[in-house]
Amino acid sequence: MNAENMEYLTIALPKGKLFKPSAELLGRIGYEAEGLSEKSRKLVISNEEKKIRFIITKTADVPTYVEYGAADIGVIGKDVLLETGKDVYELLDLGFGRCHLMMAVPKAERRERLTDYAHTRVATKFPHIAEMFFTRQGMQMEYIKLNGSIELGPIVGLSESIVDIVETGTTLKENDLEEIVHIVDSTARLIANRVSFKMKFERMNAMVRDLRAILESGAEACRS
Amino acid sequence: MEKDKVILEIPYGTRDFLPDEAAGKRAVENRLADLFVRWGYHEVVTPTLEYLDTLTMGSGRSLESHMFKFFDRNNRTVALRHEMTTPIARLAASRLKDHAMPLKLSYISNVYRYEQTQTGRQCEFYQAGVELMGSSSAVADAEIVALAIQGLLCSGLKAFKLCLGQVEFVNGIMDQYQLAGNVKENIKKTMEERDLVGLEHLVDSLDLPRNAKDVLKKIPLLHGNGDMLKSAYEMALNAQSRRALDNLAEIFSLLECYGVAQYVTFDLGIIRDFSYYTGMVFEAYTPGLGFPLCGGGRYDHMLSDFGNACPATGFAIGIERILLALERQGIARPESPKDVFVGYHEGKTAAAIARAEELRSEGKMVELSLSPQSEAEAVSYQREMGYKELVYIP
Repeated sequence: MNAENMEYLTIALPKGKLFKPSAELLGRIGYEAEGLSEKSRKLVISNEEKKIRFIITKTADVPTYVEYGAADIGVIGKDVLLETGKDVYELLDLGFGRCHLMMAVPKAERRERLTDYAHTRVATKFPHIAEMFFTRQGMQMEYIKLNGSIELGPIVGLSESIVDIVETGTTLKENDLEEIVHIVDSTARLIANRVSFKMKFERMNAMVRDLRAILESGAEACRS
Repeated sequence: MEKDKVILEIPYGTRDFLPDEAAGKRAVENRLADLFVRWGYHEVVTPTLEYLDTLTMGSGRSLESHMFKFFDRNNRTVALRHEMTTPIARLAASRLKDHAMPLKLSYISNVYRYEQTQTGRQCEFYQAGVELMGSSSAVADAEIVALAIQGLLCSGLKAFKLCLGQVEFVNGIMDQYQLAGNVKENIKKTMEERDLVGLEHLVDSLDLPRNAKDVLKKIPLLHGNGDMLKSAYEMALNAQSRRALDNLAEIFSLLECYGVAQYVTFDLGIIRDFSYYTGMVFEAYTPGLGFPLCGGGRYDHMLSDFGNACPATGFAIGIERILLALERQGIARPESPKDVFVGYHEGKTAAAIARAEELRSEGKMVELSLSPQSEAEAVSYQREMGYKELVYIP
């Protein structure tokens, strides 16, 4: 796999909401492949001519593929990156997939201070980030890891609060929850394996430069 | 589920080396041990256990949470060594304090870190390395880099790349822009964590001229050959950074004398650990392995933490990572020879032992049959086990 491995650039893309903007952005700098679609049954999609290989993985797995070098490069949200704590290069803020992590509680039972929630139960998909946050506040919490529909936690009495990502806040409102602390902002990031970034530096550096040029021209277009 | 079956587990993060694997490991270790001797490095063996205070005296504190710790009989905390540089620095600052300088020491040993296991790294893993103490010259640094390259070559690897950096370059740049202490710490942290986005956000938030911001953001991308050093020279308007670049150029010209410069690329983004390294730093990579094979650099402050200031430079190679890279790259491990099987007829045990001993003294690998057998049985055993030759005592 050696020579081939050096020739090809393997890019891991996450299924879900980041897939489309990632594929579009990469397409604009010529990183594309026929049949590259989230619904593709093929797990590996290659562009033999340009020596690019795309792999489509579950969102939370992208940093793992990249850390181990199974993929050279990946696109992933900062939220997932913080949660998994993998040792990868974080090369570029891609700007899309904007959301933030926050703590929310049932509106009706809102307590006065954040510390009033110490030693209560918090439901979250991001126990690692939540723990880092509460530890910094000097708070011990009971973390309940859920894999989806986090808002359900307080409604059914599973937890007193939630830590979750929010884009628009509509889901919170519909479930009578109120954001009380903003924890961290998140956008999609371009990440790279620490060895690949050195072994394939020229190619990856050119890729970052091209992406940056597009992102900056886009930002200017928005401003004007 | 079978209820009564005993499951013989081994602890998380440990592994067994079966005969084939152990042979591969031993072969690589032997080659490295021979190489270190030829370069004038003397092997030392230190205890697997050290007092925690010793291991954390220098900059090891950040790794404290990854150490395996216990109490001894007097309730002092002991820990399994997490690397070999600190124990060797302890030796150099204590029992070898009055030894003639430079001190050139080597080791091949197991070290322990409690962390998520990764490719080629369990919680217990093996390292081979050298430490050169008592010289701050570029010749010493070049010797360390050249020896690391020779180490990778003699292990059997062909394709690899060594990236060479210098932490003083970054320190000089940060001083040049008179950054506050906490800002410097944060910049270092983003660089160590390979967080270029964090670096960019941080630098953008500073009150600095645009070109200064560009320089700071560019550091992790300064990768290339002599031309890159020249452009870095133009960027660095301070003596400290320029000295760092001169130092790299000097090391490189010495590596050309060693004939190994083709494996080396400059990379000023290689930082490793700011609190530990004080000069040149390097990492070596090979295709198909997502983690570095080898790392090292100059660490002039560590011995002063032990009360005996002394410049030092060295490296460590990960043995399991070498083995994994060899396997993935399809490079055959040296086969253990299977020379002779000695079989014998009933009553000929004594003659067979004598013959086996004779062959062994000639340097052959010999297996002696453990019971008498017919010649036909001996032939079939020889074939089955793959011995090149059969000696049958009728």
